[in-house]
Amino acid sequence: MWWPLLLPILLFAETTSTDERIVGTFYFNPMFGHVHQSALRTSASLTTIQCSHPVKVIESSKVSVGREWAYVQVADHKGFIRKDFLSQRRPECFQGKYPKFFDAFNLDLSELYYWGRLNDQYIQGETRVK
Amino acid sequence: MNFVFFFALFMSQLVFSQTEKLQEEKELEVVNFNSIKKILVQDGLSEAAKKKEKQVQVLKKEQAKVETGRYLYPTESEIWGFTSEYWLIKNAQILDWDFEKPDYGIDKSFKSILQDLGFYQKKFKILLVNSPNIVRAALPGNEEVILLISVPFIRMLDLSKLEIALLLFEDFVRFDLGYFKKSVMTEKMTKLSGSNFQGGKPDISLIEELLRNYNSQINEKGYTFQQMFEVTKKMDAYLKSNPELWNAYFRLLGKVDRFLKTNVQFKDYIKLYPSPEMQVKWLSPDEKVL
Repeated sequence: MWWPLLLPILLFAETTSTDERIVGTFYFNPMFGHVHQSALRTSASLTTIQCSHPVKVIESSKVSVGREWAYVQVADHKGFIRKDFLSQRRPECFQGKYPKFFDAFNLDLSELYYWGRLNDQYIQGETRVK
Repeated sequence: MNFVFFFALFMSQLVFSQTEKLQEEKELEVVNFNSIKKILVQDGLSEAAKKKEKQVQVLKKEQAKVETGRYLYPTESEIWGFTSEYWLIKNAQILDWDFEKPDYGIDKSFKSILQDLGFYQKKFKILLVNSPNIVRAALPGNEEVILLISVPFIRMLDLSKLEIALLLFEDFVRFDLGYFKKSVMTEKMTKLSGSNFQGGKPDISLIEELLRNYNSQINEKGYTFQQMFEVTKKMDAYLKSNPELWNAYFRLLGKVDRFLKTNVQFKDYIKLYPSPEMQVKWLSPDEKVL
């Protein structure tokens, strides 16, 4: 009679999975970026994604994010992306607009990684309309 | 006998007339139907065929346009944006911009200066670098200006956020005068941007040349005295309407000048941005000879 011991674990797993709700599918805007381990610009990267990549935004009572960040799922990875990097419409990307030109550079993994980090490190702004 | 004869004649005529009419009608119907059907079918088909042909032509044109578009060089502004970021990627380790940085609130103070001085709808990106290898620079982005500033320089001079914003504003003004683009621009870029290379390979030496020019401009060439004079005069004109900012800028130049004279780590600064000492002189009111 060992199986009743597993029951609470199974119940807990059920609660965890049903607690999360997919808010919608969004698209990644910058040329490259990262799904972060935590809601910090400098936090470790779970995976690198490129412009126009679909991202599932999740809502969960167990994960609290600030106003700037979204809790997301990309393939098997669950992590964080800045909200201003996401849009509801598929963006027009440089690498999609000029595929042959872009492919010619044959960027390596380290360059893709840094390109993603660069977008995280920028402090961006725009002055108001007169 | 007569009756039988007339009856037979009447019946034969009747039958004949009926048969003849039906045949004519049938023939007419057949002829008319066939001809109408033929015309209808022919017209319908040819019209449909024409429509289809037009559709195919439109689709082929679109397909050719899409295919041609895949072989385009980016436009000039897109090349600037791509090259600047590619240069930052290539120099990531030297510049050391991927680090946890303090929140100086620079974006707010810089935005505030721009707006106070009437620069509206201006986009900017600021990148803090954790290296004394480069003190400051303004690079062209796709639609915005990318401003670089060194955190060790900020710390060693103990700059306030207003002073940092004023340095960034000076870079913004220098960039706006077009010196950077003019210095690194190549003929190849003017020739190739927006053009098509279908049937061949893209000439990526276009970007390689630009990257070399970026290195030379940012690390060796810098700006001339004449260019710096123009920048300082422009700053003077912009800031004069706001004495508080003008005084802060004037004091900042003196502070940078004093710092550079005593600090060897940033000795190249004066070669690249000649020179804070001269800038102070250019801004100082003319001495009256009595």
